[in-house]
Amino acid sequence: MKQIITRRSFVLIPLVLAVLLILHPAAAMAEPPIKVGIIDTYTGPPTTYTYDVRDAFKVAIDEINAKGGVLGRKIAFTTRDDKFKVDICLSMAKELVMNEKVDILMGTINSAATLAISEYCKTEKIPFLVTFSKSDKITGEKGHRYVFSITENTVMIGKAAAVGLSKRPFLKYWITGDDYEYGHALADGVWGNLKKIKPQVELIGQSWWKLGEPDLTPYLTAISAAKPDAVIFATGAASMVNAMKVAKATGFAEKIPMFIHTATELSTLAPLGPEAPEKVMGTSNYHFYYPDTPKNKAFAKAFRDAYGRYPKVGALYGYLAAQFIAKALEKAGKMDREKFIDALEKMKIDSPVGEVAIRSYDHQAMLPMFMGVTKKVPKYSFLIASDIVTIPAKDVMPSIEDIKKARGK
Amino acid sequence: MFKRIVQPKWLGSVVAIFIVLLILPPFLPRFFVYVLALIYVTSLLAMSLNLLVGHGGMFQFHHAVFYGVGAYTVALILTKTSLPMWVGFVAGPMAATIVGLFIGWFCVRLTRLYFGMLQISLGSLIWAIVFRWYSFTGGDDGIHGIRMAPFLSSLNNSYYFILVILVISLIILYLVLKSPFGSTLQAIRDNPDRCAAVGINVRRHQLLAIVIATFFAGMAGVLFVVLERSVFPDLLFWVLSLEIFIMCLLGGWFTFAGPILGAAITVALRTFVGIYTEYWTLILGIILILLIFFLPEGVMGYFLEIFKPQAKEAAERRE
Amino acid sequence: MGLSLPYGPAELVSQLLVGLSRSMILFIVCAGLSFVLGVLRVPNIAHGSLYMIGAFATYSLSILFAGSSGFWIALIFAPLVVVLVSLIAERALFCHLYQREHLMLLLFTFALSLIFGDLVKLVWGAEYRSVSAPGMLKGSISMLGSSFPRYNLFLIFIGLVVAIALWLFVNKTKIGKISRAAAVDRDMVGMLGINVSWVFAAAFVIGCYLAGLGGALVAPTVSITLGMDHTLIIEAFLIVTIGGLGNMWGALVGSLIFGVTQSFGVLILPQFAIVFPYAAVVIVLLLRPKGLLKSVW
Repeated sequence: MKQIITRRSFVLIPLVLAVLLILHPAAAMAEPPIKVGIIDTYTGPPTTYTYDVRDAFKVAIDEINAKGGVLGRKIAFTTRDDKFKVDICLSMAKELVMNEKVDILMGTINSAATLAISEYCKTEKIPFLVTFSKSDKITGEKGHRYVFSITENTVMIGKAAAVGLSKRPFLKYWITGDDYEYGHALADGVWGNLKKIKPQVELIGQSWWKLGEPDLTPYLTAISAAKPDAVIFATGAASMVNAMKVAKATGFAEKIPMFIHTATELSTLAPLGPEAPEKVMGTSNYHFYYPDTPKNKAFAKAFRDAYGRYPKVGALYGYLAAQFIAKALEKAGKMDREKFIDALEKMKIDSPVGEVAIRSYDHQAMLPMFMGVTKKVPKYSFLIASDIVTIPAKDVMPSIEDIKKARGK
Repeated sequence: MFKRIVQPKWLGSVVAIFIVLLILPPFLPRFFVYVLALIYVTSLLAMSLNLLVGHGGMFQFHHAVFYGVGAYTVALILTKTSLPMWVGFVAGPMAATIVGLFIGWFCVRLTRLYFGMLQISLGSLIWAIVFRWYSFTGGDDGIHGIRMAPFLSSLNNSYYFILVILVISLIILYLVLKSPFGSTLQAIRDNPDRCAAVGINVRRHQLLAIVIATFFAGMAGVLFVVLERSVFPDLLFWVLSLEIFIMCLLGGWFTFAGPILGAAITVALRTFVGIYTEYWTLILGIILILLIFFLPEGVMGYFLEIFKPQAKEAAERRE
Repeated sequence: MGLSLPYGPAELVSQLLVGLSRSMILFIVCAGLSFVLGVLRVPNIAHGSLYMIGAFATYSLSILFAGSSGFWIALIFAPLVVVLVSLIAERALFCHLYQREHLMLLLFTFALSLIFGDLVKLVWGAEYRSVSAPGMLKGSISMLGSSFPRYNLFLIFIGLVVAIALWLFVNKTKIGKISRAAAVDRDMVGMLGINVSWVFAAAFVIGCYLAGLGGALVAPTVSITLGMDHTLIIEAFLIVTIGGLGNMWGALVGSLIFGVTQSFGVLILPQFAIVFPYAAVVIVLLLRPKGLLKSVW
């Protein structure tokens, strides 16, 4: 019963190689466009965020290209789906850089993958714009010259939430959420800052469910038994809608005040429709109806005309990415990666939420936060945020001292 | 014994292939070098699993755990200590073997499906620990930007290193399979009761096979870190275990080199079809179905059938 | 952190009921998996995908038949959609494989799970969906000072109904008895002149019906998303293993252990509640390696 490797079975390997070489994409055209590669999750719950990033980016890029592009070249982009898996994300990112030969890389919603790609981009010296991952390590402890973030991070959320919560009368808190790094970082950010502003607050308990836990009912019933004044939910994309849904179904939302980052945001409220719970407090980077400025209205209209739906927060990031890339390229004078970075790290642009600048030290976009409370209104089939309070960017930015310490300087 | 093992007929082609693969990097675009290196890493992992599944008949359902342990060990040593890289490279497979022995000791008490289920449960516990222990393992953020010795900093050098380690590992695995131990293992696969009746200590043989297999899985984990410089909890997740299992079936699990083919096909499919469509899992599923109906012995088995009918008959007699 | 609070009997009962309702869904799904495992001797990896299709179909049907009866119509027809899908897969492809090695059948179900996973994405898109409970099952009831969602009570009730229906089916109907016989000795059944292939088809379809039913029932309580299949299948496999392969009552026992340990784990040690079910599985397998109840094999 000996298994012998036959000589001819190894014909297969060169055959495979030949097939791979044939599939190698065709050579570039005459006046090549500037290539942007987007690696993101286009499968599963994260798509409620990532589709908007891509779609708004496309609207903005189309507009820029219609006016002749940048530096006489059009901007083209291609996307890859990482299915929320880090190893696929790494492979696809490397494919975009080495095979597609993109000039700029953008993505992803998976924080672990973002950190991995960030290191890769540091080695490859290619600019990387982070569009959705919220880990503060991205521009904080693990930040470097080649990575930029145009989305908020857990430190910023924590500061904003703490400011909002400290103004309310709650003293006894319970913290609950998805049992992964984002959830814990979020909770630590909110709690740490809240305790600093209002030392009398007390944490009476915590409970964490596994990521992707489908049934949250036992967790909520246990929490309501403990009778906290308010509950801070540290949920990510996977459980966001679910948590709101169960809170409504069990009547939890009626009895106990809840705070969830992005509870007030359309990505969470749209799927729930009129079934979403009211009176939930939340923070968000973007609402298409607030601030009610001409710029925001125009942006929302353009998005709606193109896709037939209202823009969610991802759309803001997509728009910001496009504008930052275009303006930084213009300033740089040509598609030179180093010059692009030099221009980008001092860039400010006008946006639907006002002027947004990149902070040079850590390459973090300075975004304002909006805190509101969910409310049913007759105008829309989904709930919206009401009583919105704007927390300006400078009040939420991570302290440069902390970052210096984390980086070991 | 040497003469029996080394067949001059095919030795020539194997060496030729090796030389071709060795000199490829300067002629290939960087991305293809990367994909090949990734295939080598995955092949080693699949081959290590097949020692147990195809040749040992064991339901090793959570093999990825040992891969992940190897990867995390080298990652932790290289990021938390300033020990030289080689220490990490040795520690990785050793740690994987220790965990393998520990889990294996419990699992060999059971048979077939229960062996597999217990392994999944124990393995999932380890995954959960790695996932939650943020301060030590980086939790679900993982560990990134792992340092390597300067000679491994270029992609081509990493490629050479991985290829050489792969080939050495394959030679060892081949020798193991051809040895009396290997024959006993396959006999145990085919009829454990008869072997026990003849006085063979089934459990000890299975444990030894587990030690070898998990050693090489850990080695594959180390090679992964050399190539990607990152570790993350997905490396220990049961989905990966299922994927490697499928690679062995795809390539032909009764053959020696089948898993290499399975790994190559899966990685190539995922990477290249993934460029054109998000639905590459659908395509993989369809290919698997086609394979089941038309190439039931796996791709490697099919080629064996064409070129070596005796081997096919031997395989058929086994069913 | 995590302090342990003095939970009164009301809270304990409430948690118990919540755990039970979760167990019921698991039981319905696992009974199907166990049934197929028992008769066909194949662990159906695509079982999770069928559950997911059931949930998505429920979403579509309840949108189609909007209004308060939408959910009930969906509850009846969504599992039938799953039955149709599985019947097509079975008659077109699966039935040709019954003579083959088990690993081939396993590989086939794996391929099916890949295909179904992407098909769901193709048909329904990648975004997640939400289904609401029907009007009369919305909200919660106040029980012993604690509130308990009506829908979860409904789940417990349905679980019992399904358990009784299954018992009647397996013990009192002809198909049921033949299936049980085929699980134990398929050759004998074949020798009695019964078409074993049809028995397999029936068993497979029934198992898939249960998966679809589980998906339909769970729809109002969770986000319906891609990836539900993965989350479920590992739990289902572990439950079926500790219950005893092919034994439907084992599936019930296993589901109860899983659901209840998790909901009590949430009360006792919320940070580690995720570990409790796995730890329970490890303990069971170490003490009773063949599962708690008698396996059919």
